Amino acid sequence: MSETSQVSSASSIRRSSASSRRKPKKNQIPIGILVVLFMVVVGVVQAQRDPMLGFYWMMGGIFGFILQKSRFCFTASMRDPCITGSTSVTRAVLTAFAITTLMFTAIKYGYHSMGLPIPGMSYVTPISFATAVGGILFGIGMVIAGGCASGTLMRVGEGFIMQMLSLFFFVIGSLVGAAHFGWWKEKFIVHGPSVFLPDVFGWVGAVVVQLFIIACLYKAAMLWEEKKMGGNQE
Amino acid sequence: MAEFTLDCLGEACPVPLMKTEKKMAELSVGDVLIVSIDHSCAMKNIPEWARKQGYNVEIEEVDDGEWEVVIEKTK
Repeated sequence: MSETSQVSSASSIRRSSASSRRKPKKNQIPIGILVVLFMVVVGVVQAQRDPMLGFYWMMGGIFGFILQKSRFCFTASMRDPCITGSTSVTRAVLTAFAITTLMFTAIKYGYHSMGLPIPGMSYVTPISFATAVGGILFGIGMVIAGGCASGTLMRVGEGFIMQMLSLFFFVIGSLVGAAHFGWWKEKFIVHGPSVFLPDVFGWVGAVVVQLFIIACLYKAAMLWEEKKMGGNQE
Repeated sequence: MAEFTLDCLGEACPVPLMKTEKKMAELSVGDVLIVSIDHSCAMKNIPEWARKQGYNVEIEEVDDGEWEVVIEKTK
């Protein structure tokens, strides 16, 4: 509460010189309504072809909206601890992983308990040298480009030209990667171990182990921020 | 109570915050820094950093997609 009175004294200092800067903003609500209508029409048309397409369209729009409003950013989660010591986004990503762990375990276990083949098992891929190289390359790239996959798409939607350029090269890079994937697979990936935690620890054990590791990382992130930024912590 | 401006229009993600940190270090207590940004990430991470440091922060959207972050160096 005391902050508001001090903030208004800060703004009273600048008012005199800055008031000329304020231009009347164009009202974006009509465009907003048109875009929403457009999205609904496209969604309905696509759903006629295949209901899943309509679902994907809707999910894409919702994801983008949430990412944009929350400024959730995987790039920031990895980069900020190194640049400013702030781990708030890192902890947000860890929280997202924890929730996802619970949900995906529920889905997979649901199928398993009904005796059906578990969906998504093709994503249990071996970890190998290829993963490390890929991670480092992507990390360097995403900090320079100012976003990873979801962040880039979201910023293209916001209108950032730089990310439109990133997206273009993202596609090209993926094509190059896909063309060489066979080589990486043969030389490195198949030689790596492939671990599905529920096979090792059982369904409950796997969730406990994963959440425990995430909790340790969360605590480490909090300690990192205190050490790097010090001062007032909430 | 000097007033400084920092123009970060067109700068991508970590750059506005890094420039702000450097500039704030040069200011004396009671000075005000106005940072102009047009990157939405910076709109979040500059005030967050500034508040963690204990400064007073005010954000104003001066134009579509352009913000001015006013930071008062209180200590």
